Amino acid sequence: MKFKSKFSDLILLIVTAIAIIVSIVLWIFIMTNDQRFSQINQANNSSRDQIKNRNTKSLYDLYIPTSSYGFKDGELYRLYDSKNNLSFEFSKDMQKLKVTSIKLKSSSQSSYEALLKNDNYIQLTYPDQITFNLFTDVSVKKDNRQFNRIFISLDNNNTMLVGNDKNYKLYQLNLKDANFDRLRSYAKNAHYKSQVEFIRLKSGYTAFYKHNEKWNVYSYLTNRQTDSYFVARLLGTSGVTSRTSKKGHTTYVLNYYTRLKVPKTAENNNDYFYTHYEKNHYTTPTDRFLDSIYYVHRIGLMEQDLRFFDADDSSIKYTNYVEGTPVFLNQHDVQINTNFTSDAITVDFNSTNLQIPIPFDGQTTTLESTNDLMQKLKNHGMHEDEIDEIVVGSKVEKDGIHSNLVNLVPTYYVKAYGEWKSAKEWLQQDLSAYQVPVNQESR
Amino acid sequence: MDHKRIEWLFLIVFLLIDIYLGVEILRSPVNLSNSNANTANTNIRTEMKADGIDLPNNISKTQSSGYYLAAKNNDYLNKKISTLSQVNVNYSKGNNLLTATPKNAIEVKGTRDEILNKIIKFKNDPRNVPFGKEYKYEPTMSGDNNYIFVQSSEYGNIYDTNAQLIVNVKNNMIDNYALTYLGPVSPVRELQSTISPWHAIKAMYTDRELSNNSRVIKIKLSYSKLIEVRGSTILLPSWLVWVENKTTKNITLKRVNAFTSQIIQTNTAYNVEK
Repeated sequence: MKFKSKFSDLILLIVTAIAIIVSIVLWIFIMTNDQRFSQINQANNSSRDQIKNRNTKSLYDLYIPTSSYGFKDGELYRLYDSKNNLSFEFSKDMQKLKVTSIKLKSSSQSSYEALLKNDNYIQLTYPDQITFNLFTDVSVKKDNRQFNRIFISLDNNNTMLVGNDKNYKLYQLNLKDANFDRLRSYAKNAHYKSQVEFIRLKSGYTAFYKHNEKWNVYSYLTNRQTDSYFVARLLGTSGVTSRTSKKGHTTYVLNYYTRLKVPKTAENNNDYFYTHYEKNHYTTPTDRFLDSIYYVHRIGLMEQDLRFFDADDSSIKYTNYVEGTPVFLNQHDVQINTNFTSDAITVDFNSTNLQIPIPFDGQTTTLESTNDLMQKLKNHGMHEDEIDEIVVGSKVEKDGIHSNLVNLVPTYYVKAYGEWKSAKEWLQQDLSAYQVPVNQESR
Repeated sequence: MDHKRIEWLFLIVFLLIDIYLGVEILRSPVNLSNSNANTANTNIRTEMKADGIDLPNNISKTQSSGYYLAAKNNDYLNKKISTLSQVNVNYSKGNNLLTATPKNAIEVKGTRDEILNKIIKFKNDPRNVPFGKEYKYEPTMSGDNNYIFVQSSEYGNIYDTNAQLIVNVKNNMIDNYALTYLGPVSPVRELQSTISPWHAIKAMYTDRELSNNSRVIKIKLSYSKLIEVRGSTILLPSWLVWVENKTTKNITLKRVNAFTSQIIQTNTAYNVEK
């Protein structure tokens, strides 16, 4: 009897101990599950979600590869198809498939460069690194691995390789329900006109055009919304006060923490500056991406051609892409630049919408090979390792006759010392002011 | 004995805590991006129901795709008049409208389908109707005695008064037809994604374009005219939404810009009455 009582005491003790341990484990699991917390965070911002759901399209439209490359007879070409949009096709395929696992395949420069030259793959590139977590929820743990290049094999639908130009890391994604057959057939029938080679610059492998290329000049009818539209979208309709500085700048303010500086009517510019003071809680790049998307949607600009363009530690830029080339407003500005500092979020944006595309009228412009441009930049005193990136972008030029009509003139844009400028501007720029601080920079 | 009681108490309390924490974890949403969207969608659906707005059962939430298209403005129909040997033609250059009457009486009798087949055979003959094969029958816009066809293209159908064929039937005969033609269309820019049909309905509802006590009959992606510029007509993909007023039974055709989700106010001239 005594033995029985002792035995039941022991069982009770063990069961109680297990119950206590289980509760501690569960509690730790909940506290360390960041997905859970981001959900709570989002749920608190119901107004944000309403805006997200109102007039916007999916994240896949904003984060879409902007260039595609393929091989023909062993030579690498930038692919273009006026009828079938390859990036868009890929984005559609991506939404159907499931990623079952992501594993690191290699991280050496030599194997990365070998894959870049492998003609068994179609390559699609993002303009800059983005995180896996933006699209997948494969892993619950913090996943801040980044990529900017996708390799689609010509004969395999079960895996996909993605790479990060910056650190040469190659990941193998195992896929379920993937089918890239249509993408492959589009790529096969695309125009193989622009011959390119990948040259390593500071921030990754840039496509260098091997020969002089003719580029189409496209035209658009533009429109822009009024100040009150943006005030209502960004600050709301109640409790907003305005004040005008001595210099004539008007700023709308809500609760001291949020303000919008609107352009002067007399000046012919369309640049708005939005600031929201808030303690920075952005711990991961994915958080920053998702929050920047929230602001992009909230501004209420036309998002038809708007794409993710560039990201660094504190800012994420978006601009319009027309037929594969990014559009630069004013001299070298992008459409939307979101900035995250420790105590504020600022959003600079231009209100010019590319509203209606005009049929192409045959006007073209010829750009030199990228190597020729590189030589000019070197002659001007810019070193190769100071150049982050070179792209062919479109400069917005006003049409002489119609005030709302703009022409998008292709020209080279260069990112150097962390700044985007047209090649022409860099060639006229005194570089000595840039070169001193950059040499000390640890980036 | 007291010690044992405390142990039991501990066990029960911690078991309850375990159950609570377990339920919390199970309730924890897995997908970040969609869960809130779903609740918002459900709310709008409930609101619409409360307003007496009936929707078709399965409105897709999947995005579609489309192009900006352009058609060069030209006197296409005028050039074809000489080939129309079996009809008497009247052409108005101002609005590019061609009206014609068959020279020989063409009988169209029988069920609606039989009549329609005869009319289709008639319009497909290039001696009767220029570019006739490019037109597709649109039942929701047609009435008892008129058969409306819309201009089609490899990218989709065009719903515009400048791109349609109306065949009028009188006393079991083809009485006459009226034809407008935009010309061949081609993409202006590359293919882009559009909003989903459900997104279009939501946009209409929030812009108060869906009146109370109405029924959405059909929703379809087609091309609508946007603007004329540099001698071309620009078309864009739009969600066409046929809305019936439950009381008057009038059917109105509304359009939502499938790129921007704005309501297209111009050119909503179709007020279809059956």
